[in-house]
Amino acid sequence: MLEGLVSPENLSLSSMDMSVLERLKWLRQQQQKQVVSQSSDNSPELLQILQFHESNNDELLQSTFSHFQMLGSGFGPNPNMGFGPSREAMDGCISRRSSLQMDPVDTMGFMLKNSEENRTISSKNKRKSEVKRREEEKTEKKIKVAAETESNMKGKSSMSNNTEASSDTSKETSKGASEIQKLDYIHVRSRRGQATDRHSLAERARREKISKKMKYLQDIVPGCKKVTGQAGMLDEIINYVQSLQTQVEFLSMKLAVLNSELELALHAYFTNLPVVNASKPSIMVDVPLFPLDQQGSLDLSVINLSQTTSIEAPSASWETQSRSLFNTSSLGFHY
Amino acid sequence: MERQIINKKKRVFSVEPNKIPPSEVFTRKYTRLLVPALKKLNMNKNSSQANQLTVKHEVDMALALSAQEFAWSRFLLQKLSSSNNPTTTTSSSSNGIRIQKRSGKEGGDEDGEIEEKMRELQKLLPGGEEMNVEEMLGEIGNYIKCLELQTIALKSIVEDTT
Repeated sequence: MLEGLVSPENLSLSSMDMSVLERLKWLRQQQQKQVVSQSSDNSPELLQILQFHESNNDELLQSTFSHFQMLGSGFGPNPNMGFGPSREAMDGCISRRSSLQMDPVDTMGFMLKNSEENRTISSKNKRKSEVKRREEEKTEKKIKVAAETESNMKGKSSMSNNTEASSDTSKETSKGASEIQKLDYIHVRSRRGQATDRHSLAERARREKISKKMKYLQDIVPGCKKVTGQAGMLDEIINYVQSLQTQVEFLSMKLAVLNSELELALHAYFTNLPVVNASKPSIMVDVPLFPLDQQGSLDLSVINLSQTTSIEAPSASWETQSRSLFNTSSLGFHY
Repeated sequence: MERQIINKKKRVFSVEPNKIPPSEVFTRKYTRLLVPALKKLNMNKNSSQANQLTVKHEVDMALALSAQEFAWSRFLLQKLSSSNNPTTTTSSSSNGIRIQKRSGKEGGDEDGEIEEKMRELQKLLPGGEEMNVEEMLGEIGNYIKCLELQTIALKSIVEDTT
């Protein structure tokens, strides 16, 4: 059974360009997924599987243990902070994490927790920048840049805490283990002639992060590409945000004015109804329930009907306003 | 009417939630929040006094509630719930300040200028002053997106009403 577990994944993984360590991690994640989906009685089975692997790859495991411990310390204060904003995506993952903490073997559970976080992070990010990650493996920096805005936001807001916490510990990692951690750490390779002390590296990491975000903002804000330099871009961004906010204000004022007009019309409209025949109000009440596509023609016909029957004929403006009222109230269905 | 909205809600959520583009999700949430709120405003209030402020309040509330994944929305909600007189995000005052500062800092060093601008940006974003710079830059991105979608939604509401 164990071989059955191992072989298909090996076949699929051998085609990919991964180190042994990464494959190990992949396998562990697969097993962990299977185990978690089953009942908790199978935990000794999991231990068995893990111990089987441990006996095979001792020295590799030792190195990963040390790294995972560093990683764990980095993650220690952070896990809930980091994943707070992306609540919805992570709910299932967080529940799984808590169930794993009952695991008797401490280091194993520790590794599992971290690999699970890695998996969730990687599953989130794999959609986005798989190719980019491969390319940037050898170069200085890896920050997740996404095409989709919202997934990017979630990724950024959740990842920024994690990467900041663990960027310091990443400086001395070996390349093999670094491949596993690359989603969590930001790797900085110092160029020729540049300072290698911790502070300048951290500074450079920070600056590159900021420049990546500025590039992303450049894509969003129209007219930002022509301006060069951070100051100019920031100016443009500030202008744009301010103009958007004034637009929203203006539109809301307009809406307020329209609302007050509507309110008068609505008030008078509903107070006029008792004047109309008894049968007609039922038609009027049923109109909002009609489906969207019939709405336009039906409104007019019904409104015209009620207009002719009521003795005090309302003005033409009421007709438009009541029609627009139905339009407004069913606007939510447009999207 | 409310029942119809609820029925529509059930139908609208697709089987594969990942396939809905996030902009559509936001717009849908936004209009679904704002329009009934406006109607309630119509029903409830008797006087037209402070009308604009309450509408702005509802607009901001709808924005904050439809973008709850982001940090700035929490700050916005806090601001809205804490104050009865809703604090409007007016840009007119900050505009004047910004122009003054720019003329004053012509000969200043670059980093200082950039820092100033970052601080300005932080003031614009709700809760921006409590964040650090990098986090704020990320949040500004999605705040801009949500503002854009909000203006589109408001425009369509206004156009339909006229």
